[in-house]
Amino acid sequence: MSHKEIISKYYSKLERFDSDIKKIENNNELHLVLNDPNKLHDFCKFLKQDFDLRLLTIICCDERKLNHGFKIRHVFGSDTDDFFLFVTIFIDESHPHFPSLYDVFPSSILYEREINDMFGLTAKENPNIKPLILHDFPNNVFPLRKDFNLNDDVKRNLKQFEFTPITGEGVCEIPVGPIHAGIIEPGHFRFSVLGETIINLETRLGYTHKGIEKLAENMPINDVVFLSERISGDESIANSVAFCQAIEKIAQLTIPQKAKQIRLLFAELERIYNHFGTLGGILSDVGFPYGASRLNILKEQIMQLNERLSGSRILFGVNQIGGVKINITDEMLIDIHFVLDDAFQIFEKIFDHLKSNPSVMDRLRNTGIIEKQLARDLGLVGISSRCIGIETDARQTHPYGYYPSINLKQKTLRETMEHQVELQKRIGDVLSRFMSRVDDLRQSKAIIGSITTLKGDGLSVSMGDELIPYSSGLGYAESHRGETLHWVMIGEDNSIFRYKIRTASFSNWPVIEHAVLNNIVADFPVINKSFDFSYSGNDL
Amino acid sequence: MKKSDKTNHLIDMSFKSVAIKDPLKMDDTIAANYRGYVILDPDKDFVLKDETGKILENSCPTHAITYQNDDSNLKIHLDNGKCILCGNCQVKSPELIKITNKFDLAKKRRDDLIETFSMSVPFGKTYDELGQELKSKINKIFGRSLTIREIDAGSCNGCEIEINALNNSVYDIERFGITFVASPRHADILLVTGPASKNMERALKIAYDSTPNPKIVIAVGACACSGGIFGNNYATTGGIDSIVPVNVYIPGCPPRPQALLYGILMAINKI
Repeated sequence: MSHKEIISKYYSKLERFDSDIKKIENNNELHLVLNDPNKLHDFCKFLKQDFDLRLLTIICCDERKLNHGFKIRHVFGSDTDDFFLFVTIFIDESHPHFPSLYDVFPSSILYEREINDMFGLTAKENPNIKPLILHDFPNNVFPLRKDFNLNDDVKRNLKQFEFTPITGEGVCEIPVGPIHAGIIEPGHFRFSVLGETIINLETRLGYTHKGIEKLAENMPINDVVFLSERISGDESIANSVAFCQAIEKIAQLTIPQKAKQIRLLFAELERIYNHFGTLGGILSDVGFPYGASRLNILKEQIMQLNERLSGSRILFGVNQIGGVKINITDEMLIDIHFVLDDAFQIFEKIFDHLKSNPSVMDRLRNTGIIEKQLARDLGLVGISSRCIGIETDARQTHPYGYYPSINLKQKTLRETMEHQVELQKRIGDVLSRFMSRVDDLRQSKAIIGSITTLKGDGLSVSMGDELIPYSSGLGYAESHRGETLHWVMIGEDNSIFRYKIRTASFSNWPVIEHAVLNNIVADFPVINKSFDFSYSGNDL
Repeated sequence: MKKSDKTNHLIDMSFKSVAIKDPLKMDDTIAANYRGYVILDPDKDFVLKDETGKILENSCPTHAITYQNDDSNLKIHLDNGKCILCGNCQVKSPELIKITNKFDLAKKRRDDLIETFSMSVPFGKTYDELGQELKSKINKIFGRSLTIREIDAGSCNGCEIEINALNNSVYDIERFGITFVASPRHADILLVTGPASKNMERALKIAYDSTPNPKIVIAVGACACSGGIFGNNYATTGGIDSIVPVNVYIPGCPPRPQALLYGILMAINKI
């Protein structure tokens, strides 16, 4: 189905709201503007019940300069159709409140907290409106408002963060972080334990907040590509592809086929080296250093391949708006195939070894279980949702770049059946996530393997002249953590008016608080690693 | 078609050691097109013109290149502490700017990272030689292992990937008597990454205060040296040295494992 047909399919069912909404179409995006913010709640309830849509993100934008007040866009997506629904409401500065969707889409709680921090607009009914990203910030300073300057010096006063008190006989609190024992990013975890068992966990993140969204508004558009690579160092390709695609959508650029192929190759290489690293991390957390060091050698090998191909071990500096900067020659492609063939041969041997090792499997099995309903409520994406049988994959639902042209070998009926049986065993524990990553790795290998010839039509196209001011576009990509969304609104003179980033980490982080319940404290590291969230990608 | 020789030794499943023999050697393990370090290396007949200077200054997203024109005395300053190795400047002026695959870029003083038209001296030591030198120095000074505590003060996690790589079987830093410890109270060296986000300022100070004397602080990556692409804004402080005293700066975005080892050696030489 074309984008137009999908949109009309959805819009035809919305006729009874006709008097309340205004409709704008843009590629695969359908924008609906609600006249009355108070109708938002009922409307979204209808969207969930009748369309089974997921809440992807909530984007707030300070458009007071354009006499729109604040605009809040609720973005919904479908699990099956290549389609994004934007439901927009206007909020006047004099009434800085908007309706909360917490009882329809529990995942909205997080986005509403973020808007409360950054814009000072409060979702009245939201049951948990604690500060999320800004620490010790004054109550009347909101960084993403347009009257706040990037370099404004903010006087911070030390405030005590209020963790939910858990009391009772024998209940102890264990504070962990922000600096952890390993070489990982900072974040605070407050465990409440009864004996060894975790009965509550509250996370407090935001320690790596660097003001990326505000910074982008003050940078030339071509430099923002470098910034997007540094949202999370290990997701550099996914994030820069999502950003570039957003701009290319706005500018209506069609990039060369070869550039699409190169983006795909690097995206899959990024997925492979990160999955190797994560699987190794899981193994070292369960005390199996043999497997961990073997897998880390494979990771290093892919990183050395990255270096030979792109000049950067973690693939910085590959993308640019309109294409790519790095060429891949036929020789390089052969190098990729050789290295991957060898690496996967070794990997399968290690994997066989692991499967037959009961001490590893026992630690992974039934550890950190999440429920399917929870995954739906929290709007989980990527491995975290695939481990419980919810297939979310931006490469399939919203095919972008070269992915629609990839033809993988069709599975035989027997293989399909076997895969289905395998999926039934996925109960949302660490083992399921381990297996989902292994599946993902093999799929990436198959995708790269299917590229045997490179097209010869140039690396990039130029962006052309000035982009239309205040036009917007949604870019998306699948990182190794899951679906990544970048929404960009262009300002005057090719500047960026608003850059909203939603990484998979942001939508997935809350699940850790549920997954660790009834597990022992010693299993927290392996549960955390099995999800493998980025702190930097969450805090921005 | 032949397999790539460079990777062959890694993917052998036998029990032989996979650790690279000479990690600080410049030749075979580092790709020729690896972007490691930007130098000002003018071609023989290169003449700096006013417009070239301005173009270069504007081409840099992190303002690492500054152009000076006092009384027809033209100067280009290149601050490697700010450089994120994007390669923009090389595209604009390939006859002046060269990107090398070197990693021996750690400096003791922040100012030493700023280059003004100079030819660089080639660095000859291998990773192994550097490591052995480090090992003997550590033995002499401490009579025990050197312990490092890594602190992420808001990095994008790129530097963490490379620091983690130091511990893998290929770089295997423990063979030189260097271990990463879980608490700053056990540490001789603090390895700090990130532009020092304001939210981490307090935690970093506490960690610094908890580290026993004598202590060494190493700023890792362009962000930690200068704020990098994030600079100094409402959420960042623009470099670790605005919070705690820094002994050695290791630039790069991110610095490769060899560069980290070189920086640690330089820090030890300071004691």
